[in-house]
Amino acid sequence: MNESTLFLITFIFYILAAFFYFSYFFSKRERLAKIGFGTALMGLILHTVALILRTVESGHAPFTNMYESLSFLAWSAILAYIIIEWRFRIRRAGPSFMLIVIALMALASSPLMPKEANPLVPALQSYWLWLHVSVTLLGEAFFAVAFVTSIMYLAADSREKKGKAKKSGISSEKVDSISYRCIAIGFPLFTLGGLVFGMIWAYYAWGRYWSWDPKEVWSLITWFVFALYLHTRIVMGWKGRRSAVVAILGFLAALFTYFGVNYLLAGLHSYA
Amino acid sequence: MKSLFKFFSSVKLAIVLLIIITCASILGTLIPQQRSTAEYAVRYGQLAGLFTRLQLTNLYHSWWFNGLLFLFALNIIICTLNRLSPKLKRAFQPKLRFEPKNIHSLKIKGKFMKNWNLARTKEELKKEFSARHYRLKEEDKENRSSLLARKKMLGTFGSDVVHLGLLIILAGGIISGLGGFRKDLTLFEGDSFPVPQADFQVRLDKFETEFYPDGNVRDWKSTLTVIENEKELFSKIVEVNHPLSYQGFVFYQNSYGWDWKNPSLEIWAKKSSNPSFLRKLQFKVGQRVNLEGENIQLIALHFLPDFVINDKNEITTRSNEPNNPAAFIEGWQGEQRIFSGWIFAKFPNFARIHSEKETDLTFELRDFKSSQFSVIQAAKDPGVNLIWVGCGFLMLGLALAFYWPTREIKVILEESQGKTEVTAAGIASKSRDTFQAEFETMMNSLRRSK
Repeated sequence: MNESTLFLITFIFYILAAFFYFSYFFSKRERLAKIGFGTALMGLILHTVALILRTVESGHAPFTNMYESLSFLAWSAILAYIIIEWRFRIRRAGPSFMLIVIALMALASSPLMPKEANPLVPALQSYWLWLHVSVTLLGEAFFAVAFVTSIMYLAADSREKKGKAKKSGISSEKVDSISYRCIAIGFPLFTLGGLVFGMIWAYYAWGRYWSWDPKEVWSLITWFVFALYLHTRIVMGWKGRRSAVVAILGFLAALFTYFGVNYLLAGLHSYA
Repeated sequence: MKSLFKFFSSVKLAIVLLIIITCASILGTLIPQQRSTAEYAVRYGQLAGLFTRLQLTNLYHSWWFNGLLFLFALNIIICTLNRLSPKLKRAFQPKLRFEPKNIHSLKIKGKFMKNWNLARTKEELKKEFSARHYRLKEEDKENRSSLLARKKMLGTFGSDVVHLGLLIILAGGIISGLGGFRKDLTLFEGDSFPVPQADFQVRLDKFETEFYPDGNVRDWKSTLTVIENEKELFSKIVEVNHPLSYQGFVFYQNSYGWDWKNPSLEIWAKKSSNPSFLRKLQFKVGQRVNLEGENIQLIALHFLPDFVINDKNEITTRSNEPNNPAAFIEGWQGEQRIFSGWIFAKFPNFARIHSEKETDLTFELRDFKSSQFSVIQAAKDPGVNLIWVGCGFLMLGLALAFYWPTREIKVILEESQGKTEVTAAGIASKSRDTFQAEFETMMNSLRRSK
C-alpha cells in the first residue's frame, strides 16, 4: 500500500469520526462520542503509518511542501486533540475540531497542492528541518485546540448569560481552564520549535539568526499575542470572554504565519 | 524619579507596549522593507516620501521601533525587579507566624482532631511531608506549632527566568548589530582573500555543484583552506547548512555564479549537403578559428547565458543562469563576412543565421564552459553566544513556570488535653486539581493512621 492510498483511508476515518461526533452532538448519546474518539484514534494510527511511508518513499522529513506540511499539521492536530480529550474529557469540542482537521485534509488533497515528493533543495538539507517544523506545528496544533475551546467558551457563556440551563454538563469555567491548559502546552512548544530552533537553523543556513523575514516577524507576532494572553490572565486576572478573544486572535496569527505569509508576503521562507 | 519608576513598573504599560510593538511589526510585513526609492514611488505614489521619512520602509531598524523595544526592555527589567524582591523574601525568609485566620481565607484546606499529643502528631505529619518531597520549616510555641511545607519553589521564579532570557537575547541582538560584520566574497577556484579584521586568510580550492538525476541542484560545495602566517592550517568543505567556523569568524556558502565574459565554447559545424561532414571546434569567445578545408574563419563575438529579446526589442540575458545559452557567431572569408547570427544550445534547429553569401554550413552550440565562482559570506557575530544563552534561559523559565508548580502547605497544630487539633491549608499557583488531590490524600492518611 502506498502513501497516497493510506492518506485517503485516513481521510475517510477522520470524516467518519466527525460524523460520529456530530451524531453525539445532536443526540447527546455518550457512546457515539466514544466511537468518534476511537475512529479518530484509528485515523491517527493510519496517518502515522502514512507519514512514515512518505518519509521512506521521499527519503526526507514529511513536511517539505504544502501538501506534506498540511498533512503533518492535521496529524499534529488530531494528536493534540486526542491528548486533550483523554486528559480533560472535552467531547463537546469534538465536532468543531474534527471540522478543522477535515478542512486541513481537504486542502492537502486539493489538486492545487502538488503531491509529488521533490528532492530537497540545499537549504532544507539539515536535521533542523525535523526539529524546527515538527515542534512548531505541534505547538500550533495545541493553539488550534485552544481556539476551538475558546469559541466554545464564548458560545457557552452567551447561553449561560441568557439564563438557559447548561444541558451538556460542561461549564464555561471548565472550557476556559482547558483553553489555558492547551496554551500552556502549545506556548513552550511554539517558543522552542518556532523561535529557538528557527533561530539556530537560520544561523547555520543563512548566517544570521534573525533577518526580520515576514515569517519570522509573524511567528514573533503570534508569540506576542500568546504572551499577552498569559500576562493578562495571570497578572491582571483576565478570564472568560476577554481571554477567549485573545486566544482566538493568537490562533489566527498562527494560522496567518503558517498560510498567509507564504501566499501573501514574499520572503526567505519560500519553501513551505 | 519615583513616579517614573512607578510608570515603568506597571504591567499595563507592558501590555500597551506589547500591543504597539505587535501592530508596528505587522505594518512592517505589509510594507516591503528596504527596497529601492523607485519601487516605493511606483507602489505608494505621493505617500512614498512620507513612508520613507517615518522610516516605515526600514521599520525594524528605525530609531522609533528600536526605541519601543528599549522602553519594553526597561519595562521588563523594572517589572521583574519589582516583583522579585517580595518573591525572594517569601522563598527564603517565609513568615512562619501565621494565624488560623490566614488559613481560613484559602481555598484548599482541612481541619480535624487527632488523639495524639502535639509532638507525635508533628512527627507523623513531617514523615508524611518528607515522603512527598516537601521541605519543612517550623516554629514552636508551648502548645502550638506552625509548620510550613513547600516544594518546587523554583517554579515561582519561572517568569523571572523567562524575562532574564529575553533581556539577554535583546542584549545579544544589540551586540550583533553594533559589533558584527558580514561580507560577501566572490571567489574563483584558487583565489584567496584576507578576512577583514582577522589575521588569517581563506582560500577557495574547489567549487562544485552537485545535481540530482532530475537536474535540480543537490548541493554547492566549496573547499576552503584556512591559511595563517603562510601556513595551511586545515581545509573544510563548506556547504549550505554546514559553515566553517574559525576564531569567531564563520564562512557560509551563500551563493554562486558564472563568469560569462570569457567562456569556452564547443561548436559543431555540419553541412546539409554532406551528412558525413563534421568539424568540432573548441575556442573562446573573441578567438578566431579556421574551419578546416573550407577557407572560412569562425569567430564567436558574444555569449549570453539566458538569451531573451526584451520589451524594447533588445537582445539581452534574462538571468545569470544558463537557462537559454546562446552564442553570436560570424564566418569570414578573408576580408568578407559571409554569415552571422545567433545559435542556441537548447534549440539547435532554431539558429538565426543571416548569410551574405551562399553556404550550406550549419552550426550547433554543443557545449560551453565558463569559470564558476562561489560567493562565500564571511561573518563575525559577537552577539550570537548571548543569544543561545538567552534562549536557554527562556526555555528553562518556561519549563519552570508551566511544569514545575510550586506547592505550599501551612499547618497549625494546637494541643489541648492530650489531643491535637490540625488545621491545614494549601496554596498552588498552577494545576490546583492535582494539588488538591495530593493535599487530601495526605490529610486523610494522617487522620486515619493509628
